[in-house]
Amino acid sequence: MGQVMKQAVILAAGEGQRLRPFTVNRPKVMLSIADKPILQYVVESLAENGIRNIVLVVGYKKEQVLDYMGSGEKFGVDITYVTQAKQLGTAHALAQAKGVIEKEFLVLPGDNLINAATIARFVAVNPAALLVKRVNNPARYGVVTMDRGSLRGIVEKPEAAQNNMVSTGICSFTTEIFDFIEPLLDIPDMINNMIDKGYYIETKETDGTWLDVVYPWDILSLNDAVLSQIQASSGGTIEAGVSLKGQVSVGKDTIIRSNTYIVGPAVIGEGCDIGPNVCIMPATSIGDNTVISSFTTVENSVIGNDVNIGPGCIIQDSVIDKGCVIKGHFTACGGQSDVKTNGEFSQANVGAILGEGCHLGSIVAAQPGVIVGNYCQVQPLKIISGLLPDRSLVF
Amino acid sequence: MCGIVGYIGERQAQPILLNCLQKLEYRGYDSCGIAVSQSNIQVYKDIIRIKEMEKALPKIEGMAGVGHTRWATHGGPSKANAHPHCDCTGKIAVVHNGVITNYHKLRQQLVSEGHNFSSQTDSEVIPHLVEKYFDGDLEKAIYLALRDVEGSYAIIILAAGEHRLIAARKDSPLIIGIGDRENFIASDVPAVLDYTSRVIYLEDGDTAVIAKDNIKVKSNGTGVDRKEHKILWSVEDAQKAGYEHFMLKEIHEQPKVIRDTLSEYISAGAPAANLMTPGDTLEDWLILACGTSYHAALIGKYIIEELVRIPVRVELASEFNYWGQTSAKTRAIVITQSGETADAIRAIKRLKEKGCQLITITNVVDSTASRLTDQVVYTRAGLEISVPATKSFMAQLIALYWLVLPYARIDNRRKDSLITELRQLPGKVQQVLDNEAVIAEYGRELSKYENAFFIGRGINFPLSLEGALKLKEISYIHAEGYAAGELKHGPFALLSGDTPVIAIAAQDNTYEAMLTNIKEVKARQSPVMALIVEGDDVGRDLADWAIAVPEVHPIFSPLINVVALQLLAYYTAKHRGCPIDFPRNLAKSVTVE
Repeated sequence: MGQVMKQAVILAAGEGQRLRPFTVNRPKVMLSIADKPILQYVVESLAENGIRNIVLVVGYKKEQVLDYMGSGEKFGVDITYVTQAKQLGTAHALAQAKGVIEKEFLVLPGDNLINAATIARFVAVNPAALLVKRVNNPARYGVVTMDRGSLRGIVEKPEAAQNNMVSTGICSFTTEIFDFIEPLLDIPDMINNMIDKGYYIETKETDGTWLDVVYPWDILSLNDAVLSQIQASSGGTIEAGVSLKGQVSVGKDTIIRSNTYIVGPAVIGEGCDIGPNVCIMPATSIGDNTVISSFTTVENSVIGNDVNIGPGCIIQDSVIDKGCVIKGHFTACGGQSDVKTNGEFSQANVGAILGEGCHLGSIVAAQPGVIVGNYCQVQPLKIISGLLPDRSLVF
Repeated sequence: MCGIVGYIGERQAQPILLNCLQKLEYRGYDSCGIAVSQSNIQVYKDIIRIKEMEKALPKIEGMAGVGHTRWATHGGPSKANAHPHCDCTGKIAVVHNGVITNYHKLRQQLVSEGHNFSSQTDSEVIPHLVEKYFDGDLEKAIYLALRDVEGSYAIIILAAGEHRLIAARKDSPLIIGIGDRENFIASDVPAVLDYTSRVIYLEDGDTAVIAKDNIKVKSNGTGVDRKEHKILWSVEDAQKAGYEHFMLKEIHEQPKVIRDTLSEYISAGAPAANLMTPGDTLEDWLILACGTSYHAALIGKYIIEELVRIPVRVELASEFNYWGQTSAKTRAIVITQSGETADAIRAIKRLKEKGCQLITITNVVDSTASRLTDQVVYTRAGLEISVPATKSFMAQLIALYWLVLPYARIDNRRKDSLITELRQLPGKVQQVLDNEAVIAEYGRELSKYENAFFIGRGINFPLSLEGALKLKEISYIHAEGYAAGELKHGPFALLSGDTPVIAIAAQDNTYEAMLTNIKEVKARQSPVMALIVEGDDVGRDLADWAIAVPEVHPIFSPLINVVALQLLAYYTAKHRGCPIDFPRNLAKSVTVE
């Protein structure tokens, strides 16, 4: 074990095409889980481990990152921004930071949700090293082969995984790696090249939280995992007759109106107006400035900022992005279905996925697995299913 | 107007003074200077920016000093006219923000008494007056000197051999930052935030004697206790955080500003201020403001007339101060972002004298304007550093909507749906921001021209004025805003292929007329850039360049449209290589007439 690293580079330039419609207007790292962007979990994990000097490589939709993270002061860190103008691979992204990097540093992907414990013992490991973890579905990731703690190679998304140990993408390096960076390369390829040249890369295993979101419905399982750790808190107004069970967090200036029943774990943002007579079931996250009208039930769902949900709606296992206006009696029940994203089909157990700024008339029914693009409009009494591109009109 | 700073403590004054001055540069930056005292006073000043002065300065030792960054009013920018100014002996150095209106007479008097002047400024009379009255008691000399002076001032006086600074305030802002065995004086809070968050606001008529561990304030001669405030916003708020310019950062903050402001107003429950009470015998409604706030005032007029259905007058504060009619039966709203705008303050004092009912909308807590009025509506835009106003304008509009809605003479259903629409605004503003790349391209096109016209109708007419103002402020293109119906009463003669016209084609009852205007403009060969609502294919086809914005209730359309116009101005200026945050000849808060 060496000295604790002083500096970390977080790669936050990627788009995350498979996560559309959510990544049309934001980079993958800004996807919100339990009311916090994934990037914030990474930054806070570093801060808690004493690493305050952070370089953020931004690119796709970088203003979203700048607006939220600012100078980093809010999170107890000091952020330097470096822009990757064109997305040409993760190694290229890392190369952008060359000018501001000190001798030794950590590299972390900004789009994997971790907590402080995940990297607690990795922050003092001598470079070069890679953090690895056992997972149930290794074929989705970069499977590693090791020889007594030394890395032999990484195979991305193999047809047949050799074992179930994968790369977390979290590494520690010295400035020597800049010699190995070539354009259009991703970091795993770069690492394989280094190993071929005889470089020794140590592996360290973690059993801490490391969650990846690949498809839009993954947001629900991450939301569930994170919410199971939250603590109850209240910054808003809770009217008489409201029941809060379990761990429920209510933000500043939010009003929870009478006879609303909230079963935690649940997080509700700031400036919201919930109720009266609304039921919120686990595990649900609601953003800021969102209105949920009477007799609506929201269960195991993620609702964004500035959303307006009318009365009598049933929302289960769904993800609704910011700014949606949904009139009364919207029904989105969860269920198994084949969902098509980015050209591929997947099996998913999910309700409705709504992009931002959608307007739904009253009594709209969503088939399980429907993906509604950004800014869509749906007339009343429609049944929606399948994949609706951005700006679709259903009438 | 200018920025002044002072430091006294146990550290070297020079680097601290320069750092504080840097934070005040937005108040003026054609020249700067500092004076540091050890046994005697050393002054260094020049027509350069503070960063350059930092590099050029030799190390001046001393633990007390004053500094100044200048926006020239009397006497052009020059080394001699820069502050600090000294007396004949060089033992008294003064930095001054404000205007001494009787300086000519005072200067003549002092010259006849044998004093030597080295500049053309009004400020220079102050050190000489202090020298004239000095007979051992510095405080008494300053008191007598200030008695002779007419006009406005925030001054800090440094005297050789004295272990204290003396400050005085009349009409120009001045604050004291309290440190640990050191104290800071400045025109504005951001200057001291690197060192302390404990601040005292001096009031008109105050003089303060500030030692490193002691502060004594007198108000018009009598000892007084000024309350200590804790500043909650941070140095972070004053950093660019990844953005190339403060202006772009502040434009991007607008969704958050709307959300935070609304959140606070909604949760407060009560109306923002008492606009009307039953049984009111008001005869006259008046909104006063300057600059961009004046455009907000014009939109306020449309909002009140549309929702409350009473006639409203809007006046420029500077003009009103010379002519305006007013009486005790006037309900006046004064809008000033900084709360220190001289014309607005003067208007407030005049209105109060006449017994008018006053409401002030301002962004700065405890500013002079807020302390002069009973009813204050604070906008929550946060610190706005860039000289061109962006988020403060947005916040003023939100404040106006919130002020007026409780009194709107419309049924509850309509009121509810308007509030629901208001809540949707942050998302819609963000949509305009997400469309930035398109607007940036149009900015590149617009940057090739030297003249531009902005036209709008109804509630978007003030937007055409604001769009033109933003463009001319930062890109230096000569831009004019016009009510679209007015164009053919004269300005049409200026139209040609070299004068692009930016037309705001809102989806309200002025839409058809705007389309006609666009056709008329195109017939004169002028390229047309149209701000249209998404889905407006007719508008899109007519225009040479179309910027599409999300649909919103017409009464809120200015909030969405202004963001597109801010971005347009920004990218046009960027393509022309302009500085943007600190345009030539401008300062953030105009504290002179």
